[in-house]
Amino acid sequence: MLVEIIEETKGKDGRRILKVAKENLIELMTELKKQGFNHLSLITGVDRKDKLEVVYHLHNFESKKYIVVKTETLDERVPSVSGLWSSANWDEREQYDMMGIVFEGHPNLKRMFLPENWVGHPLRKNYDLKKVQYINMDEEGNDYATFDPGDGW
Amino acid sequence: MKTGDVGLLTTTLDKALEWGRSNSLWPLTFGLACCAIEMMAIQASNLDISRFGSEIFRNSPRQSDLMIVSGTVTKKMAPRLRRIYDEMPYPKYVIAMGVCVIQGGPYNQGYSVVLGVDKVVPVDVYVPGCPPTPEALTHGIITLQKKIRNETDR
Repeated sequence: MLVEIIEETKGKDGRRILKVAKENLIELMTELKKQGFNHLSLITGVDRKDKLEVVYHLHNFESKKYIVVKTETLDERVPSVSGLWSSANWDEREQYDMMGIVFEGHPNLKRMFLPENWVGHPLRKNYDLKKVQYINMDEEGNDYATFDPGDGW
Repeated sequence: MKTGDVGLLTTTLDKALEWGRSNSLWPLTFGLACCAIEMMAIQASNLDISRFGSEIFRNSPRQSDLMIVSGTVTKKMAPRLRRIYDEMPYPKYVIAMGVCVIQGGPYNQGYSVVLGVDKVVPVDVYVPGCPPTPEALTHGIITLQKKIRNETDR
């Protein structure tokens, strides 16, 4: 493989784990898709406090092999892979909603579960659970978040 | 008569109405989480609730009198729950099933869970447990029937 890989390890179940810089991520993913990894199982976000890590699990249906690709970012920005696998569209929206990772080049990067005006990203370590937010529905049926306990539930 | 005390006739009529209502409590299919699995069991052959008149789970809120809120009520779900409750015709009753519905349960500290469905809709009977057994829920329905039968006396 021509792409520069920072570290390659093996998981407990024998899966290859590749660690790559985020500048080389798209190049590596294109290469892996050419090799037959045509199913993106999941995208995970990990909060390491000083940086954010994104983990991709890829599956090859023909050789029945899994591969794990990890990348990390300091400025909350990672290139989007939704051009390669369509399933990444919703996976990345979910990561944006819960972890606040901004996927550059994503066609429709909106919040998935929470209302658009929700403050903060709940799965981040620095999210303040004491500031309780409530959800209510307006006349058109759209959700909105509020800090006022009398306005929502 | 002029004082509004119509005596024997209305009392007996109310009793008959209550008897009718309590013996035809049709629940709404409203499962939110794992408690719904136990809720399904009360409809099955071992603990058949049609013995007590809760004949069938209706899929439409307009045909049901009883809402069994079974499972965690998230903040996303709360406005929808309120809307479905508003669509039910009177008289309507609510059973809060499971500890998540009563006060948040294991998700009490979470950002996304409503701490008690009684903030959203008025609750008649609370059935605690995680999850409550189908027997406990059947007992909850019978308790609600007793409550309905004594409504004029209260």
